[in-house]
Formats: sequence, C-alpha cells, structure tokens
Amino acid sequence: MKNILYIFLLSTQIFFAQNGFEKGNAFYQKGNYEQAVAAYESVLKTNSHSAELYFNLGNSYYKLNKVAPAIYNYEKALVLNPEDSETLNNLKFAQKRTIDEIKEVPKVGFAKLIQNYTDIFHYNTWAWISVGLSTVFLAFFLGYYFSQLAFSKRMFFIGMFVALLLFVICVLAAISGKSNYVNEKPAIVFAEMATLKSEPQNSSSEVFVLHEGTKVFVLETLSHWKKIQLTDGTEGWIEKDAIKEVK
Amino acid sequence: MKRYLILVLLTFHGLWAQVQFEAKVSKTTLGLNERLRIDFMMNVDGDNFIQPSFDGFRIVAGPSQSVSQSWINGRSSFEKVYSYFLLPNQKGALMIRQAAIEYNGQIYKTSPIKINVTAAIEQPKDPNDSQISADDNIFLVADVSKVNPYINEPITVVYKLYFSYNIGITNWNELNKPKYNDFWSQNIDIKQLVAEEGMFKGEKYRYVVLRKTVLYPQKSGKLVIEPLSLDINVQLPTNRRDMFGRVIVTEGNKRVSAGAKTISVKALPEAGKPEDFSGAVGNFDFKVTPSKTNLKNGESMDLVVSVSGKGNMKLFDLPKPVVPNALEMYDPVHDEKVNTSLSGMSGRISDSYTIIPQYKGNYSIKPMHFSYFDLSSGTYKTISSKEITINVLDGPTAADATVATTAEGGKNRISSTEQFKFIKLDTELHSMEPNDFFGSNLYYGLVCFPFLILPLVVILKKKKEAIDSDVYGNRIKMNNRLAKKYLSQAKMQINNKELFYVALEKAMHNFLKAKLHIETSEMSKDNIQDLLLSRNANAEIVKDFITLTENCELARYAPSSSTAIQQDFDKAVMIISDLEKQMV
Repeated sequence: MKNILYIFLLSTQIFFAQNGFEKGNAFYQKGNYEQAVAAYESVLKTNSHSAELYFNLGNSYYKLNKVAPAIYNYEKALVLNPEDSETLNNLKFAQKRTIDEIKEVPKVGFAKLIQNYTDIFHYNTWAWISVGLSTVFLAFFLGYYFSQLAFSKRMFFIGMFVALLLFVICVLAAISGKSNYVNEKPAIVFAEMATLKSEPQNSSSEVFVLHEGTKVFVLETLSHWKKIQLTDGTEGWIEKDAIKEVK
Repeated sequence: MKRYLILVLLTFHGLWAQVQFEAKVSKTTLGLNERLRIDFMMNVDGDNFIQPSFDGFRIVAGPSQSVSQSWINGRSSFEKVYSYFLLPNQKGALMIRQAAIEYNGQIYKTSPIKINVTAAIEQPKDPNDSQISADDNIFLVADVSKVNPYINEPITVVYKLYFSYNIGITNWNELNKPKYNDFWSQNIDIKQLVAEEGMFKGEKYRYVVLRKTVLYPQKSGKLVIEPLSLDINVQLPTNRRDMFGRVIVTEGNKRVSAGAKTISVKALPEAGKPEDFSGAVGNFDFKVTPSKTNLKNGESMDLVVSVSGKGNMKLFDLPKPVVPNALEMYDPVHDEKVNTSLSGMSGRISDSYTIIPQYKGNYSIKPMHFSYFDLSSGTYKTISSKEITINVLDGPTAADATVATTAEGGKNRISSTEQFKFIKLDTELHSMEPNDFFGSNLYYGLVCFPFLILPLVVILKKKKEAIDSDVYGNRIKMNNRLAKKYLSQAKMQINNKELFYVALEKAMHNFLKAKLHIETSEMSKDNIQDLLLSRNANAEIVKDFITLTENCELARYAPSSSTAIQQDFDKAVMIISDLEKQMV
C-alpha cells in the first residue's frame, strides 16, 4: 500500500514537472521570457532535469540578455548531452555576448590523445560495450571448447583473446573517462567583474579581471578561494562566490 | 739634547717663514637674502692675484685690497688682503673655487670653500639700515583661499605685492620660484601687471597681483608651499631735494619673500566610498551617447563617454565601457575642453570609442557608472548611464564564426542558415540523482557473469566426459533405465494383454541385466537363481521372480482376466523393489 502511494506521489511530481516544462514553452513562445524562466526553474525544483530543459532555460536567459546564466544552462545541457548541435550552436551565440575573449589553447600530448579516444563514448557506453565484449568472450570460449574442428578451434581461440583485449581496453577507457568526468570541473563566472589573483589572499597581486559568462575550470578549493584555469591555460585564484560550478 | 731642541726650533722657524695664502669667509651657512664676505689673505706680497669665479653669487662689492705691515718685538709681519662682498643667487650648496697668486715665481692657491645657502630668512630690523624705509613700504603676501581643503579640492594661491605710495618699483625678478610638491598646479597667466589700490594693515597701499595659481592637493596631511622670493629694485625718496625742488630718489635693492604656507589637507571620507571611485571631486554630469544603434555589417559607430562640470577634470580616469566580444572596440580618442579659472577647472572631457560589430545580432553595452565626491554636500554621488542595445542588422552570425576560423586557409565561409535555435518542445525528464551504469552492481554482475560461467562449463564438460568414458556403469544405467521404461510401457499397455507381457518380460530382463551385470546369452533360469542367491537375495522372492518370468511367457498365449494382469504388474513392481533393497 505504502509503495503504491510513493509511486503515485512520484508520478504526480513528474506529471507536474512535465506540465511546468510545457508552461515554460508556452511563455517562451509568447515572448514572456521571465515567466518562462520561472516555469523552467520550478521544474528544476522538483529534482528532475533533462538536457532539453537546460537548453530552453539557457535560451530564455539569452533572450533576457543574462549571459552568465544562459551559458551556465547550455553547459549543463551539454553535460547531459555532449553532442547536441543546437546547444553548441546557441552556446556560440551566447559566448559572443561575453566580454572576455579567451583563446582556447588546444591541449597536446599523449594524455590528450588518450582523452580524445576515451571521449568517443560516454563512460556508461564504454561500460555497456565492455559487458557486450565479455559476453562475446564467453561465446568464443564456448565455441573453442566445444568445437571439434582444429581450424575453427584455432579461430575461436584467437577470437577469444582479441575479445579479452578489447574488453580490457573498454574497461580502461571507462575508468579513464569517468575520472576525466569527475576531475574536470567547469564553472561559469557569475560576478559581473571578478579579479583573478595570483595567491588566495585579498592583498595579492592581480593577474587580470574576468567578466561574467567566462568559462573556467576549477582545480582546487581553499576556504573561500578557488584555483581556476582558463581555457588558454592561465591559472589564478578567484573568490568562491564569483563563479558557479556546472557539475 | 739641547742641540736637538735648537734644531727642532730652527726647523719650526723655517716653517714660520713659509708663504701662507688662504681664503676666509664670514659664514658658511647663510640665507638667500644675506650677504657673505670673503677675504683672501697672504703673508707675503704676492703678485698676479687671480680671483676665483664666484658661480652662483653676485659680487656686491670688491675686490678691495689692503696691505698692512707691522713690527712687533723686532719681528715684522706682513699681510695683504683681497676682500669681496657676495650675494647668493640661488639656494643650495655652492662652491667658491680656488684663488691664485704668484710669489718668487711660484704659484700658491687657496683651498675651495663650500657655502650652504638656505631659504630666505627674515632679517631683524636694523634701525640704521638704509633699507628701513623699503622694509616698511613693500610687502609680498601669499593669499591662500582655503587652508584645510579635501584632496583634489581646488585652492588658489595669489601672490600680491603691496607697496606704499611713496616708493617706486623699477624692476623685479624672481629668485626662488615657489614649488608645489604634492599638488597639481596650474598658473593662471597674467598678461599685464596692473597696479590697484587696496587696504593692507589698515593703510592704503597699491598692489599688483604677480601670480595666480590653482592648486589641487594630491595627498592628505600637512603640505608646505615653498615661498616666493623676489629681488626688487626700488626707488626710495630721500629728504634731499634737487635744485628744482624735486625729491631726490635713491635706487635701492630689496628682497622680499612671502613666507612658507602650510596647508592641512583632509582625506576624502571612507564612509560610503563607491568601489569604482576614481578620484573625481567636484560637480559633474556623466553621459554615454552612441552615434547610432542600428548598424549594418562593416559600419562603425562611436560611443562617447563624457563628463562635464566643475572639478579636477584632468585628474581622474573616465570609466571604460565593457562590450561583448562580438563588438570590436578600439582605443579611445581623448578630448579635453577644460578652462582653468581661479575657481578651478571646468569644462568637458570625453573618450570617443570606435566600435565595429563583427556579427549579426543584438548586443548590449552594460550600464556604466561614474562616481564623484560632491564638495557642496560632502558626500559621494554616482551617476549611471542607461544600458545601450546595439542592433546589428546583417553580417556573419556568431555560430559560423568559429567554423570560419577553423576552415581551411582563412576562407570565411558564410552561411545564412546558421541562426539562434528555437527551444525544444519535447523532453523526457529524469531524476537528478546520479544514475551511473559504470560502477553499479548491475555492471559488475554483468561483466563478471561470463567469467564465472567459464569454470562451470569446464567442470560440467569434465563430468560429462567422465560419465561417457565409464562403459560398464553406463550399461548398468542403461539397463536400469530400460527396465523402468518397459515397466512404464507395460503399465500403459495394461489393457493389451500380449504387449503388456512382452513389456513386462523385457523390463524384468533388463532389471536383471542391470543388477547382475550379465548379458542376454547368459540368461538361463539356473544361472539367474544362483546369481541372485549369491547376491543375498531372499530365496522366496527369487522364486517369485522366476515364476513371474515363466508366467509371462505362458500368459501371452493363455487367456487371463484384466485383474490377473493388474496382479502380475503389482507383483512385478513389488519383486523389483524388494530385489533392489536386498541385493548388494
């Protein structure tokens, strides 16, 4: 009885959330962007989300000319759905409204090569592939074990080791992908102006000034300071309140 | 011993006889308005006196030469002196260089003397001085408009020279220009000196304004304005008159200085100081005006940031506009139209930024804030401009900009299809709780499952092979199975007498084969009986078994009722189960 009640409560919640999403869409279409934002935010309060929801929220903020929240929501959408072309497109529009123009310095080296490779799939996809490969390995083993012909036995044996090798690669890719996902902490500057300091002290010298909407990566946290890295590789300390982490 | 003493005395005598030539000064430290006497003394009658160059001094009198010779106790002493009176022209450490004379073909020089000249000092009144009348009749006054201003509040210093009606001034020159350390200063040019009338110390005087300066203090605390010193040629009337009855005037020289002034500058209050305060003090108006807001691609616009009003116009920075990076902003053109009057600077300063949009779209320039300290109310005030929206009507869109830069060879690929995408209408909401497949128990289970199955498969196969290779055991098992099979067949054929007995017989034969490990060929009644008995079977049951097999053969051809068939079947089941229990 209790379980049924919970299921009922959960389903109504999702129903209301869906309702909020559609309400937001209606407001957006009428050009009522502020109310659209309120409707979308109410969905987020029910502890449910989706890439599309973040995308629409980012669009609403973009229309309201609020650059930092727009970019923040686009980035959140990209966390859930990294390959979405519409989100990437609108993110570029929003980035054109930011004040800072920071070059993206491409990372090079072996580590980057590995990361590129692991980024082909999400780590959960890698996990599924590894499950599939372990099953293939079993099938090959059975084939090898029970086949009578020397030729097919040999082929199954080779196939078995190829599957095992691929399986190990997939598991390693999933592990590395997950650690990349956990270690990469993007954040968006929300403060209109924030100074980047060389040390986590108020008196320390200024590296330069960041404006809202700039994407940074959090490296470390120390009391109310965060060590961040810009996309061009510059590092510095910024006050915690000035930025908002995406993940 | 005595002789040595005499020798020593004689050598000293010889030293006495040496030529002495030295310079003596009346003082080594003096004020700018004081005089200095220098004497070059020698004890021989030297010739060709070369005077040093008195750099930084003016020779007021001299050289005057005096010679004196005296005999005291039969010893003659000679002295020849060249004297000069000098007046310093400038402040600081001055050097009087070497003077030289020639005596008996040898050149003698004095050692150089260092003189320290300080600022003008007030001289005590000397009642016998000829300048007494000038002292009472000529004054230099520095008027400071405010002695405790704020930082960057304008103050003015006006130097006035008061002189009474009975003296005349022919010329003046500045000896010491006032220095305004820690002030921003601007002189207001005076084109022509005009003598005016004014009251000073309760008497009527004429005065000229020599110099007007506007000062903006740049530092808080006590600041000193160094005095202005003037050398003035004055005409002083004497009591004598010439043959026409006119007063004879004498030319005189008078130095006046205004005295140092101390100004205590107040710092601006910290309370309520805006963060972006850049030091503007006064009363201002702030404006940000774009030349146009609707632009086509490639067109430029000007954004003029201007501050007008009264205050320290040249001493603060204008706020810089921040624009989105889609707008390219160039360095500003600075323009100043500032007049400086006695009341301070006023006018307008502006920065004109040229902005060229790069991409199509609407872009906004953030509101700008300008803060200043209002002197009349003593508070900070902030003026904010409005947000400016710039509408770029055409041009490349933002999205393909990055495509263009990454495209080969700088070719700017322009596609008009890229545009800001509309919202998505469908979604599938899911919980925010992280739900990772990788690392979950399900994942580990699915991954490990095939590997756990491997040994199981191996074990099963091994077992099967062991079973297959056991021929003897297999045969028993097979016979056992056949016995059961025929028995169940017999049960099914219970209504068909002939088939029933065939099945029953086969079942019993197979049972024997399984239990006694014998072949069909060895199956004779005696043999069976012996074997069964040797395996600890009960003799009665063995006998039952034999009779039942015989019965089977008979019953196939003899008529029998269905109850007999049922009895035979039950009996067979009972015998088989009994034999099973008893046999080892």
